[in-house]
Amino acid sequence: MNYLDCSFKINGNLKKITIIEDKTLIHVIRDELGLTGTKLGCGLEQCGSCAILIDGEKKLSCNLLAKDYQNCEITTIEGLENSDGLNNVQKVFKEFNAAQCGYCTGGIIISITALLDKINKPSSQEIQHALDGHLCRCGSHSVVLKAIDSLIKN
Amino acid sequence: MKQFNSGPSINTYNKLSHWFDFSNPGILKVYSGKIDIGQHISSTLALITSKITEIKYDQIEIIKLSTDVSPDEGITASSLSVANSGSAIKAASIALKINFLNYALENLQIKNEDILFENGVIKDKNSNKTVSYWDFAKTHKFKDVIIPEIFDENSLKKINYQNNQKIELKTINEIVTGKYKYVHDLNFPRMLHARIVRPPSYHCKLIKINEDFKKRLFENEIKLFVKGSFVAILSLDEFLVIKFLEIAKNNIFWEEKHQLSNDNVFNSLEKHEKETLLVKSGGEAFYEEIPEKKSFDDPKIKSLSTIFKKNYLMHGPIGPSASCAIYNESEFTVFSHSQSIFALKYSISKYFDVDPNLVTLKFMPGSGCYGHNGADDVAFEASVIAKSFPDRHILLKWTREDEHSWEPYGSASVNKVFGAINDDGEIVYWSNEAYSDTYLSRPSDIELNNFTSYKFLTNNFAKIKSKPKTSAHMGIHRNLDPIYNFKECRLVKNLVHDLPLRTSALRTLGAFANVTATESFLNDLASVKNIDPFDIRIKHLDDERAINVLKNLKKKMEIFKSKEDSFRGIAFSRYKNSAAYCAVGIELNVSDDLEIKLNHAWITVDAGEIAYEDGIKAQVEGGFIQAASWTLYEEVIFDTKEIISKDWDSYKIIGFDNIPVFTTSVIDQKGSPYLGVGEVVAGPTGAAISNALCKALGQRIKILPFTKDNITKELLN
Repeated sequence: MNYLDCSFKINGNLKKITIIEDKTLIHVIRDELGLTGTKLGCGLEQCGSCAILIDGEKKLSCNLLAKDYQNCEITTIEGLENSDGLNNVQKVFKEFNAAQCGYCTGGIIISITALLDKINKPSSQEIQHALDGHLCRCGSHSVVLKAIDSLIKN
Repeated sequence: MKQFNSGPSINTYNKLSHWFDFSNPGILKVYSGKIDIGQHISSTLALITSKITEIKYDQIEIIKLSTDVSPDEGITASSLSVANSGSAIKAASIALKINFLNYALENLQIKNEDILFENGVIKDKNSNKTVSYWDFAKTHKFKDVIIPEIFDENSLKKINYQNNQKIELKTINEIVTGKYKYVHDLNFPRMLHARIVRPPSYHCKLIKINEDFKKRLFENEIKLFVKGSFVAILSLDEFLVIKFLEIAKNNIFWEEKHQLSNDNVFNSLEKHEKETLLVKSGGEAFYEEIPEKKSFDDPKIKSLSTIFKKNYLMHGPIGPSASCAIYNESEFTVFSHSQSIFALKYSISKYFDVDPNLVTLKFMPGSGCYGHNGADDVAFEASVIAKSFPDRHILLKWTREDEHSWEPYGSASVNKVFGAINDDGEIVYWSNEAYSDTYLSRPSDIELNNFTSYKFLTNNFAKIKSKPKTSAHMGIHRNLDPIYNFKECRLVKNLVHDLPLRTSALRTLGAFANVTATESFLNDLASVKNIDPFDIRIKHLDDERAINVLKNLKKKMEIFKSKEDSFRGIAFSRYKNSAAYCAVGIELNVSDDLEIKLNHAWITVDAGEIAYEDGIKAQVEGGFIQAASWTLYEEVIFDTKEIISKDWDSYKIIGFDNIPVFTTSVIDQKGSPYLGVGEVVAGPTGAAISNALCKALGQRIKILPFTKDNITKELLN
């Protein structure tokens, strides 16, 4: 097994660790750094629960080679809070109780954060596009959509 | 409120200390035997406690279920979380408050009108002396209280509360910040991560493991666990286990004992050996002779018959099942998201032949789904592995492929329906024959075979025949008995044996198929006589609450004009004919290439007294979405070798692109029993979509799901 010394900038902190050379980014985030808010759902980039931000872009972390993202700004759900506390997406999800079991919620919040960082007032098609590939089995979709709609209107 | 029945849990747990812990000043800890599976039961129970006791919601914590401290309230299933645990905690709260008030009056020597009651503390207006629930809990009077099975009107007069409170879910802050911990996130020193090396299908015996592979495992400090044909690999590094799991697949060899049947499952449902029972009014099933189906020659009576079919469905949680277990000093501690926490404790103790007191099950959240998914299996498997690695936590996770291929599915089913309607629009005859595999193979200490790994551990691949359940609305015959006053009914339950796939409890059991068939066929009979769908239902109902739900739905739907080229359908059900009432309306469009787009959904529900209104709305809208997904997209595909539906590409579920606008109404029956809403919406959802699609196409589509392929086949028939 080949090991590699790596450094990652995650949620504003620089972390130096030694990893198995082909370790995926989600396993670095969850297992090496203890940031378990990023969820492993399928390992196939089909469910959206492992979404994170890489240099502000939403990416699914379950199949990315960690070593390729050493020079990037990585943000997980734990890193979305700012000096005022929760970011606007987290705030509105909290206000609307927009989750059931919550397993998929972090990935959805990440996607909508990435969208709103780029587009202030996204259209419903742009919202749908951002949510494409995010699966939820509890059926929290309706309250999630209401929360997002409220955030955009206000 | 005339009377309040405390429910079944109070029969066993009738002391305040069974439900409440006041040992931390200012905090009330509440025990429950139910678990959070996405339905927010903790928040609902905290709200019920807060409303009655007038202790602030924020001061109340619901203790996660643990078999060493929590009341055994059975399985978290069958829409009984609020009906059972909610009623018990409401009863305990009423008893607590009444006894606390008496204690305060006596202790402070004051009158009722001098009381100031805030945050669990009573203050004498005149002297400023105080006494709190926490003071009361230290007394013998608290310990001596016996919670009554029934509260009379006089007791209830002392209790006052409002039902329209808004709350913040107990879990929401941790969920939106990524700090909410699931069983998958547990971490202990020296913990080993485990994965199971699966054979291609259910009936495979282990033949050989390559020696070179064993050597590679050893070189990489990966442990191999083999018992019978059950194989697992373990490592301190989760990624390493995943990496070697792929390599293992080419280095472990199996002998296939039986193949999966390649017959069309709907043919098998009709042709295979079966047990046939007669279901009578009230919903119980009996081993009795089945009467011949009637026929009608009278020209004033029109009769129809239809066969409805539903494919296998999967639970499909977004996070695969997981469990963490440790075997330490002869005791097992197992963290699990099973809905059957207590049954699991007894099953594990039975397998190891140890005293149940040596096995503790602790609930840890998992990924949501409703029913018997892989949670029980993985907890059992983690315990089996843990026994061989004493003093070390074993965190076993199923892979996506494990979850899709090995979970117990919701059975495929067939409903053969026949009915007759006279010129007055009265349904004079109704026959419904349901054919299905079992919905009830949750593990228990007498059914260890229900664990999927049990046969691999014992190398016993003999097929097990399940036995039909006979109690009212249990399994296949749930909601087979229509709630309507039809003149004569003939209801038949067929438990079919030797079907290809493993099945068990999926949200609603047989009710989804039965209500979808009943409510679709009712529309077909009504249309023979040009009767409006609301009218045919109301005409055959006496129950005012049922009629009120339908009338409310009609009123709500009339507010909105139909969109161009759209079609509407409705349906109704009372879950188990004894729980919540629910009517569903849907408006949908069908594109030229037969894609169904859901525009607007109306749901009206009467679930008795409202425990938590937003929670009820979340449950029924969530239930609608899952049932719409079953109806439109879902079917498990398999061949003789294996399950083909191994991931989300090969098993499509609903996405954000087909979520309708919701108009959801909850009717409050303050003072009535809680009825529970986890499942009531599913059947009416399937039928409402079926009825709207029938209008759109001018033809009934009789096979679920309503995919382009299935619709095309039906249209061509």
